Amino acid sequence: MKLVHALIPILMLGATPAAAQVMAPTEYVKTAGASDLYERQSSELVMQSSQDPKVRAFAQMMVAHHTKSTADVKTAAARSKVAVPPPALTPLQTELIAQLRSESGPARDARYIAQQKAAHGQALAVQQAYATEGTAPPLKAAAAAIVPVVQHHIQELMKM
Amino acid sequence: MKASIAVALLAMSALAGPAIAQPSTSPNAPPPATPRASSAKPAPAAADMQAVLDAHAALGPKPIETLTPVKARIQPSAADAAIAVKRQKGMSTAPDPAVTTKDLPYGADPMQYARIYRPASAPSDAILPVIVYYHGGGWVIADVNTYDATPRSLSRQLNALVVSVEYRHAPEAKFPAQHDDAAAAYAWVLKSAVGWGGDATRVALAGESAGGNLAIATAIQARDRGLTKPVHILSVYPIANSATNLPSRMDSATAKPLNTAMLKWFGHYYARTPADLQDPRINLVTADLKGLPPVTIVNAQIDPLRSDGETLAAALRSAGVPVEQRTFEGMTHEFFGMAAVVRGAFDAQAWAVSRLQPALAK
Repeated sequence: MKLVHALIPILMLGATPAAAQVMAPTEYVKTAGASDLYERQSSELVMQSSQDPKVRAFAQMMVAHHTKSTADVKTAAARSKVAVPPPALTPLQTELIAQLRSESGPARDARYIAQQKAAHGQALAVQQAYATEGTAPPLKAAAAAIVPVVQHHIQELMKM
Repeated sequence: MKASIAVALLAMSALAGPAIAQPSTSPNAPPPATPRASSAKPAPAAADMQAVLDAHAALGPKPIETLTPVKARIQPSAADAAIAVKRQKGMSTAPDPAVTTKDLPYGADPMQYARIYRPASAPSDAILPVIVYYHGGGWVIADVNTYDATPRSLSRQLNALVVSVEYRHAPEAKFPAQHDDAAAAYAWVLKSAVGWGGDATRVALAGESAGGNLAIATAIQARDRGLTKPVHILSVYPIANSATNLPSRMDSATAKPLNTAMLKWFGHYYARTPADLQDPRINLVTADLKGLPPVTIVNAQIDPLRSDGETLAAALRSAGVPVEQRTFEGMTHEFFGMAAVVRGAFDAQAWAVSRLQPALAK
């Protein structure tokens, strides 16, 4: 009987929202790492050819900021005892890099900016979701620190 | 003994599940239970449409209906696949430079902004007609970037400004946030178009998928609020009918890139309660449609939303609204923007343009 009473709070849990299915720490680390790798590779490519000072400045900022976020996530992962495998592009990111390689001149710049707008919306979604409900506190804090950086990039892109 | 009662009670509570749960606004909220797999086999796609579906599969998308919103938002889209096909064919993947864009806010939320497409060849002092366009994605996924192809193409072909409206997404902002934003953006265009070279007396509404719904719903709101009436509505494979037994829900249950399980998944995140699905703003076939401007409805044969467009056309006709609807054979959901690589999309755009052109003329 006592056991049944003890269960009442557990039964009431059935009335609360189903638990969030936030990304596992390893999945977050993998997703963020791939996104940073794509940012660096695409930005380095466009810096090789772009004659547009605004595009070059933006690409340079992307390389710097996404190198830093990779390092910050790596540090937080170590504190969270989460292994960090070498980052790898997703099939879509591989395709996006191939598109940039197949373009030159202003067309490459234009494709780069279009890709950046889409990729940053997705990056923001990933970072915000983990910053809100992530289960590994050091990684959650790292995501929270990355959110305003991505938001700043989005504001810069809206001017391009 | 006591322990076994406890186990039984626990099992019961698990079965009862989150029936009285408050809907979660988290992008990490779990997906609904996946419906039983359908054995229906969708109709065969045209060869050029199939090439896009194959390119999509090669990008490794996970089934949206099994994911949380945040994971769904990072999956490759059908539009990504169409661009990949362009690259494979040696075509440029860069956005058409004949059209320029500018982003402007229409509200305080970061999602409340519009991307204005303008033909690069238009003189800087030209006053152009305006098309307000709403993107798709079931109000949960995708954004103005995913749906770049259609507004860019309409701007060029119609020598018009196209205002592609971003709006708050579910589940962070649930129904009717998207309808409210769509209507706010329309009112903002009427008020401010003159400031960026738009003619506020020649405004059409357009949209794809969830955005095809917003185009019709916004015209209804404009009528009810006494705003300037749009001159035409282009509604491409809209969400318009909440019945679950529509023919297309069955015959295209396992179609790609949209299947019937995804429609349930979208509703799970955008609706506050099941009653929202019966709201006339979503279940448009039950809305008061009287007095709307002429409507053009584009559908794809291989699409669980095909019957929505067909039944919406019938409802509009009953309400005395001039309407033309066409279903494009061998095409799937999301085909409309793919004119560069899919013949049916080229034809559908040409038809839509021929309907919009006279409506937007002075």
